[in-house]
Amino acid sequence: MSDATLLVVASTLSTGLILGAIFALVAAGVTIVYGCVWLPNASNGQFFLLAALAAWSLTGAGLGSAAAIIMVLLLGLVLSLGLEWLLVRRLYDVPNRNVACFVLTLGLTQIMAGIFSMTWGRWSDQYTLPPLVSGITMIGPFPMTNNRILVLLIALVVLAASFALLRYHRYGRALRAVFQNREAAALRGVDVRAVYRMSFLLGSSIIFLGGLLFALAYSFDLTVAWTMSVTAFAIMIVGGPGSVLGALVVGMVFGFTQAIVSIFASPTAATFSYLLAMLAMLLFKPTGLFLR
Amino acid sequence: MSARRWAVALGLLALALPFVLEGNRFLAFVYSIVMIHLIWANGMNLLYGYVGLMPLMFAGVAGVAAYAMIYLTRSHEWSFWLAAPMASLGASLFGVLLGLPSLRLTGFYFTLCSLVIQTVITLAFVFFPTFTNGDTGINQIAPPQAPWGGALSGVWMDETLAIVAVLSVLLCGWIVSTRLGKRFMAIREDDVLAEVLGIDVVRDRIIAFFIVSMFASIGGCLFAVTIGFISPRSFDVLTSLNIWLFVAFGGRGTLIGPIIGTIVLAPIPYLLQELQGFKDVLSGVLIIVVTLLMPGGVWGELLRWRDRRRARRALAVGQT
Repeated sequence: MSDATLLVVASTLSTGLILGAIFALVAAGVTIVYGCVWLPNASNGQFFLLAALAAWSLTGAGLGSAAAIIMVLLLGLVLSLGLEWLLVRRLYDVPNRNVACFVLTLGLTQIMAGIFSMTWGRWSDQYTLPPLVSGITMIGPFPMTNNRILVLLIALVVLAASFALLRYHRYGRALRAVFQNREAAALRGVDVRAVYRMSFLLGSSIIFLGGLLFALAYSFDLTVAWTMSVTAFAIMIVGGPGSVLGALVVGMVFGFTQAIVSIFASPTAATFSYLLAMLAMLLFKPTGLFLR
Repeated sequence: MSARRWAVALGLLALALPFVLEGNRFLAFVYSIVMIHLIWANGMNLLYGYVGLMPLMFAGVAGVAAYAMIYLTRSHEWSFWLAAPMASLGASLFGVLLGLPSLRLTGFYFTLCSLVIQTVITLAFVFFPTFTNGDTGINQIAPPQAPWGGALSGVWMDETLAIVAVLSVLLCGWIVSTRLGKRFMAIREDDVLAEVLGIDVVRDRIIAFFIVSMFASIGGCLFAVTIGFISPRSFDVLTSLNIWLFVAFGGRGTLIGPIIGTIVLAPIPYLLQELQGFKDVLSGVLIIVVTLLMPGGVWGELLRWRDRRRARRALAVGQT
């Protein structure tokens, strides 16, 4: 292979890894909430974008990237607590609530999209964050910015942590118990509503973190919200609702797909393929590829 | 007045209004928009209110019909009056195809599936510009020919829309009153039970998708010739969601509900021309309010309130 081809392969690999890790992160956030609360969060893309935009504003106001990230995560926590208290908890006891929740979050999507177009949409149309760390590491002959390596590492660590949390921690076991049988879990002393609240907070925070990492690694615009929403749903459905492992594997596959497709065609072609994969999955195996 | 008299009065009013509003082009335009959305809302109500499925690809079907109609009139020089029914028929068959997932999926999974389908259709409109001219859209769509020669425009165009809208309400009412309508409601309440009772759920759902796609398609064709401009954004998921909101806000599964919802909500975007972002926020808030606080919609909640009052009064009479 010539040097130029090698370079393309290497950049595709790194893009695929980073995109895949971020996709997997956001999809994990969606899948944890859906798996537990039956709340299909259609506004995940807007959450994702909100985190990125807020970080952009904070760094624009002179804050360092790391401080901005922590601020945004705290802000996201407050926001999701508020949303849970105001809206989501009202649906906890509704039977067959996933349609109602879906519609509710579609409404939320519209509200946030409207707000973004009235505010950030007027201030700029392309956004970039200053990198978290500077410098370049050579991996073999290929340069990669330390910033992107760090982004990748954070994403993988958080994914691993949430996987471990759901598998081994008391909270994760309670969450899966509620998922399997709410009444039985309640009888065994699990505080169902607290578990619901916790998983909504956890899922939203992971989505916020995904938005931050994406903003650190790439420049973005307002259209990323809808693409991310659709992609996260596709990953969740294909990987199996409620499965963090499924989100990781399928997220990586989709990330690499997007990186490879982007060499030859527009990234929208990749979105097309996710949608078709999701459609096929919905029709033939709605439980997804992975068990939770 | 009895319900029937009310209906006749409302229908006559709808037919008369274009002549009343003739002097004011803006109001007449808003009126014609409301009439088109009324056709759509009736179709959406049949599926969402009576069959119990939430089809977010509704606007996509309308778009397919509109683009097909424009293709037939432009490239093959068909008359609108031939092209629109043919395009609608084709789009409705396509709509039946898109409805096939409902044979396996209901509830959230069907809605999600329809959202995916809608997104794919929108992407297809954008990325296959041969028929659609991509994101730029198609403008200067010729108005339909008038029977007396020339182009149908102004008050007679509005009157045509009003006639079709009134017909769509009548058709919806008639379908609901037939045995087919009763079967739809049985499927909405419990599709497994309906199947056990001997209802051919698969066949009835296919019939429903055909009828509903017909409403969507005819609305789409009329939308194209009324506005004179369409783009993929005219038929995206927000359009579907808006039409759904008209039905859910007014009251699903009632005949008057979608009419109320459309009359109240359809003009809003045109009155808030400058504030597009605000319009999105408003409809988002309305969606949340409807889902959380009034699942029956305005009319449904009104009926419930009346029933409760009657029950209380009956109780009071019984006690004395």
